[in-house]
Amino acid sequence: MSKADVKPTTYDVLRELGVDRRSFLKFCTMAAAALGLDASAVGKVVEALEKKPRIPVIWLHGLECTCCSESFIRSSHPIAQDVVLNMISLDYDDTLQAAAGFQVEEIRKRIMKEYPGQYILAVEGNAPTKDGGVYCTVGGQTFLEILRETAEQAKAVVAWGSCASNGCVQAAHPNPTGAKPVHKLIDGKPVINVPGCPPIGEVMTGLLTYILTFDRLPDLDRIGRPKMFYAQRLHDKCFRRAFFDAGQFVENWDDEGARKGWCLYKMGCRGPSTYNSCATFKWNNGVSWPIGSGHGCIGCSEANFWDNGPFYERLSTVPLPGVDSTPDQIGKVAAIGAGAGVAAHFASFLVRRTMSKDKPDESHVSADRD
Amino acid sequence: MATRVQALDVADVAARPHRYFRRMYVWQWPIRVFHWINAICVTVLFSTGLYIASPILAPAGEPYTHFVMARVRQIHFIFAFLFVVNFLWRIYWFWMGNNYARSGFPFVWRRQWWRDLFRQVGDYLRLKRGHVHLGHNALGGLSYTIFVIALGWAQIFTGLSLYSETVPSGFWGRLVGWVIPLLGGSFQTRMWHHLFAWGFVFFAILHVYIVFYDGQQYKNGLVTAIVSGEKFYQEGDIDHDTWLS
Amino acid sequence: MSTQRVVVDPITRIEGHLRIEAMLDERGVIKDAMSTGTMWRGIEIILKGRDPRDAWAFTERICGVCTTVHALASVRCVENALGITVPENAEIIRNIMFLTQYVQDHVIHFYHLHALDWVDVVSALKADPAATAALAQAVSPSWPTASPGYFRDVATTLTKFVQSGQLGIFQNAYWGHPAYKLPPEANLMAVAHYLEALKWQKEIIKIHTIFGGKNPHPNYVVGGMPCSIDLNGDNCINIERLNYVKGLIEDATRIIEGLYLPDLFAVASFYTEWAGIGAGIGNYMAYGDVPQNGIGDVSKLRFPRGIVLGRNLSEVHPLDLSDASQITEEISHSWYSYPGGQQALHPFDGVTEPHYTGPKPPYEHLDENGQYSWLKAPRWKGNAMEVGPLARLLVGYAAGNTEIREVVNEALGRLKVPATALFSTLGRTAARGLESRLAVHWLMAEYEHLVANLKAGITGTADTSRWDPATWPAEAKGFGFTEAPRGSLGHWVHIQNGKIANYQAIVPSTWNASPKDAKGQHGAYEAALLGTPMADASKPVEILRTIHSFDPCLACASHVLGPDGRVLAEVTVR
Ligand code: SF4
Repeated sequence: MSKADVKPTTYDVLRELGVDRRSFLKFCTMAAAALGLDASAVGKVVEALEKKPRIPVIWLHGLECTCCSESFIRSSHPIAQDVVLNMISLDYDDTLQAAAGFQVEEIRKRIMKEYPGQYILAVEGNAPTKDGGVYCTVGGQTFLEILRETAEQAKAVVAWGSCASNGCVQAAHPNPTGAKPVHKLIDGKPVINVPGCPPIGEVMTGLLTYILTFDRLPDLDRIGRPKMFYAQRLHDKCFRRAFFDAGQFVENWDDEGARKGWCLYKMGCRGPSTYNSCATFKWNNGVSWPIGSGHGCIGCSEANFWDNGPFYERLSTVPLPGVDSTPDQIGKVAAIGAGAGVAAHFASFLVRRTMSKDKPDESHVSADRD
Repeated sequence: MATRVQALDVADVAARPHRYFRRMYVWQWPIRVFHWINAICVTVLFSTGLYIASPILAPAGEPYTHFVMARVRQIHFIFAFLFVVNFLWRIYWFWMGNNYARSGFPFVWRRQWWRDLFRQVGDYLRLKRGHVHLGHNALGGLSYTIFVIALGWAQIFTGLSLYSETVPSGFWGRLVGWVIPLLGGSFQTRMWHHLFAWGFVFFAILHVYIVFYDGQQYKNGLVTAIVSGEKFYQEGDIDHDTWLS
Repeated sequence: MSTQRVVVDPITRIEGHLRIEAMLDERGVIKDAMSTGTMWRGIEIILKGRDPRDAWAFTERICGVCTTVHALASVRCVENALGITVPENAEIIRNIMFLTQYVQDHVIHFYHLHALDWVDVVSALKADPAATAALAQAVSPSWPTASPGYFRDVATTLTKFVQSGQLGIFQNAYWGHPAYKLPPEANLMAVAHYLEALKWQKEIIKIHTIFGGKNPHPNYVVGGMPCSIDLNGDNCINIERLNYVKGLIEDATRIIEGLYLPDLFAVASFYTEWAGIGAGIGNYMAYGDVPQNGIGDVSKLRFPRGIVLGRNLSEVHPLDLSDASQITEEISHSWYSYPGGQQALHPFDGVTEPHYTGPKPPYEHLDENGQYSWLKAPRWKGNAMEVGPLARLLVGYAAGNTEIREVVNEALGRLKVPATALFSTLGRTAARGLESRLAVHWLMAEYEHLVANLKAGITGTADTSRWDPATWPAEAKGFGFTEAPRGSLGHWVHIQNGKIANYQAIVPSTWNASPKDAKGQHGAYEAALLGTPMADASKPVEILRTIHSFDPCLACASHVLGPDGRVLAEVTVR
């Protein structure tokens, strides 16, 4: 983003100084004259000075459930309205857009043309890649194509939610539509992954305002997530951690431990493997969060979280074809197998020894030696 | 040239043991120390690991008076680091030690190694005394390579990467953090770590049995060797280990 | 006869991806219409082989707008299969979350998804703040923010926004279209309330956060609710949490009574001709919901169950969800194939084999005589049905439910229209408001019921006797239903050896947005568009009005369906 983009425009400043529009136009005429431009250029000067710096955002929707948009409008600081009306120019968003049909598609094409390299592409949902992408089309075009086309001229790509950043539910086994997250479909663009199903509202608005306020992209971790929101596990910030460390666990829903707020680890809590801000900001302006309301974390911001076995078990089954057992089941069978083998071997050894008492001891004859 | 060893005359052995059994210093002290530290570590790690995966003690009362889970995890981590250091020590000694310290290496490109492997399996199954080694036989070497070395590496990588999850951008995270996405996420990494742990149990059962069986069959002092370092052999038994060097 | 074809794709301000193609006659009246779901995710295929206790989380992700309803249908369906009766408190908490969803969803729909079909944002710029304040005070006397200064602020914000030249979501819309009828002041008031409602919707939904931990996508549990109650505990639901909920319900009541309903009536009074447009098929269906005596007792539902056929409000047909012959899904115009070329199957026998026969994208048109949608066409005894708020109110009205009759009659009186006005686009939009009114009152009633239970020492929230899969039968089948904000929702599950063998869902928007069936009967959207005059074919405001009056939710509609043709031979509904 160039510096000029975030500063208020000249027109804004003049307005703030109490200059009305008529004086403003006069100012433009004079400025044009001073620059040696002829009268026909005045319009351009007006436009240039007036042009608002709000950064254009194209918000695409692919295979998704719109929970990210819903979460976005749940943000309490800043509220979504401030972001949409004062900070960005949300030029394309099928969920909120007033226009419909070709008029919206026209907007998308125009923004791409007028703001090359300047707009932010926000993607909610992901693209099916199977069968040529027919499982999601918009305006008769496949979403896959729209995504690639729109990403081409984007300044940066924001992948909202787990769908866009790691595949989420439609990409869970067996992924019938071949859905793939955004970073696997486009290259050569910075992609900021904001996982979560959905991400916390304040995380979403926080990311956008960070970019606008500090005029840069935030530091990202190894898998493209903003460090400011995804650096730590819930488990390391959880208010039930004291119970975890003490060894006090909820054993079943609504038991004594559950009422005392003990740790949900044995109910399958994914807090120990989930990076998100739930434990810090909590949800819906800090009211509560899943672990706060008695259900373990299901790990919704982690890749493949749908395929990590039942949500209520801490150990998933071993993901090998034809195997449907947990490591413990397999380990026990292997140990018992080893024990049985040993016992059988020892038994035959004993039998052999008893029998060989009557015969010359063959067992001590070594085989051929080289 | 192939030779055949006569059947032992038990009475003669009892009367003149020195004629039959020679001693050889096989396992140098670093190897023995490694073995016992490893054995202790694996035992502690496995049992604490089981508890961590499925904690069963539930102390009553206020949490600040208890520290069960945290303590068990702490023990797990301490022994894990001991395991790692010990493991690296053993690898160092692979080069620095005597030939026997290298005898477990699977020389898969040597036909002789393969022949030895199959013969050893056959000997064990047919309860034959068979071929005698002072170092590891091919089957033993292979199983140590798989269940001690490979499994050890696997546990070190998965374990340390899980350990690094607290601070992914920290030292351990940078060192082994890549393991987690490679295995499909933290949850899967944990699952493999847990499954691999059972590999040690599987191995330990067979290992302990074979050691006793082998010692009995070969009369080579295999059991005491891991304390004293010395193994016994009969006259004419020694040279088959030549494929080692 | 000249035919003009209007394509609206994407339909915006809905959930998911919907395409409408309408054929106009020479007078500009819609004579045929095609509704196309343009996305498919295959959630039910994904569910196969998983733990049924997890199903709620997967199905909840069918839709993030009507989040929670799929989770509710799912836990009910698994509980039904396993023979679990949830504790009364859990049922009440679920009811509270369910009704909260209604209020929030309906308000968002009215102000943020639907209002721009009726409200001209640009015209609001011309409004006089003082006159707007006078109008607002007359329309909703109980609403506190209605001073001229307040409206001047809103107008300034709006002006600044428009003058910036970056119109964002408001650009390229149909401002100034003759179909917009509101005076500038009413437009300004509506815009101000658009912003207020946007601020408020994030408050009411905190009820979900308190009981379910987050929203969107709060948590449920098979057998009850995960939030324990301990009146003397500090880590669970206690008096502070209860007070929070109560306060939010009171706020909701104020918003519905003081803002939503007055705005609804004010806007509606300018558009009464829409009480004669968009009637559609005239068959209405409701499964019913908000149980008062456990979900098994369908006679004690606050929203009654039943069917109204052919706009005949004097008769309610019984609906038996356990009768396998009543509901079928047809695919003659859908991109699926059934084995042996069959055209209609009961959901128990549901097969979903995606079979795309449409044109290769990018395309201009779809073929109304061929297959043209990712949605199937569900039918009740061969009849196309409309579901949703209007259907619920009409079924309740016809069934003689006093509470429902009261609010409906009062509304008809206020707008001075006969009961037949309900069969329309406007009726659908109004029904949503009336239902919200019922919802806030029921919310308080449910809350008081919960408090009464707690007072009596009943605090349990979960029945865990069947939590362990070892306690399950090898084979179990179940059915769960709910009335989602958009209409009747049903889930079917077949559990085998502790795993999901087959999972099926028939969702409201599939009923409403369905394509034609083999008999050529239109789905509800399509039928409702027929006969609608369009002023300007390139600016499809009229189409948007009617389609939005259904509150489409396409992610729901096209999540479909089980793949393998496994037969769910019977279903137990209690
Ligand atoms: S509830 Fe979950 S995140 Fe919290 S301490 Fe227990 S395991 Fe960790």
